[in-house]
Amino acid sequence: MKKLNFTTPTAQKIYDDYFNRVTRCTRTLPLNDQLEIMMEVNSHIYEATQNTTPQTEVEVLVNALQNFGAPEEVLQPLVADKKVKQATRTFNPRHIIQALYLNISNGIGFVLVAILYLSITAFGILIIAKLIYPNHTGLFIGNGHLFAFGFISDLPNNAAELLGNWFIPVVAILIVIFYFLNTLLFRLLKRK
Amino acid sequence: MNIEFVQNWFSQVKKGTLSYIILIILDEKEYYGYELVQEIKIHTTLEVAEGTLYPLLNRLKTDGIVESKWIEQESGIPRKYYTLTTEGRETLQEMKKIWSTLETAINKLQK
Repeated sequence: MKKLNFTTPTAQKIYDDYFNRVTRCTRTLPLNDQLEIMMEVNSHIYEATQNTTPQTEVEVLVNALQNFGAPEEVLQPLVADKKVKQATRTFNPRHIIQALYLNISNGIGFVLVAILYLSITAFGILIIAKLIYPNHTGLFIGNGHLFAFGFISDLPNNAAELLGNWFIPVVAILIVIFYFLNTLLFRLLKRK
Repeated sequence: MNIEFVQNWFSQVKKGTLSYIILIILDEKEYYGYELVQEIKIHTTLEVAEGTLYPLLNRLKTDGIVESKWIEQESGIPRKYYTLTTEGRETLQEMKKIWSTLETAINKLQK
């Protein structure tokens, strides 16, 4: 991408600082998406500096950047949308977490996806806990009613574990179901 | 008058009508981002941060309503031109009908 060159060092510094902020806002995106956004912002700033009344270079640039808005605010929805697209395409956990973080303010749907995703992670931890602490991990009942599913460090004397060796397969099935629901919900939200 | 209420209401109206305004402008000819912002400013009193237009254009592109292409310029800084797709033109016709119905209804109520 051809960057803009200014004759005054102050204008050049303002421009470079602004583009560093744009880079920081978009760095979680794939390189082609980052470049696309940078080129579009660059093109807009260039056109804005060319179509203005004669002023000093610094004034022209500062006006153009102010009119465009702070990149952290105006580009956030664009970065969030592109991140959801990438997460849906790859279903890479890192991209999903980043997409959730960027979209968490966009509604209850993404909060639900985040909860489902946390549950999947918790179920994975439970499988490991069952292998390390088999007597303290499971579906426990005490006094005839259900009281815990997961890991308990201090087991009451009357507690009995119901699932035994079936605990790991049951949790694995829950992971598959939650993963399926999450994928479905994520795609539905993306389509919105 | 409750100024805060009116400002909030106008902010919602602005948010809801900006995509309609963009489609009406793009129906005329293709525009690049900066030029489109200026056109919006000329024809409306909407004061929007120019950068907010790009997330909206990206959403319209994802929905298949607009398409874009980069065109090289002598300056070496290319412009990205936006144009309505066939689906975009059909969508705009439907939006125009809805807007017209709404306008008639509001005019009747206001009398």
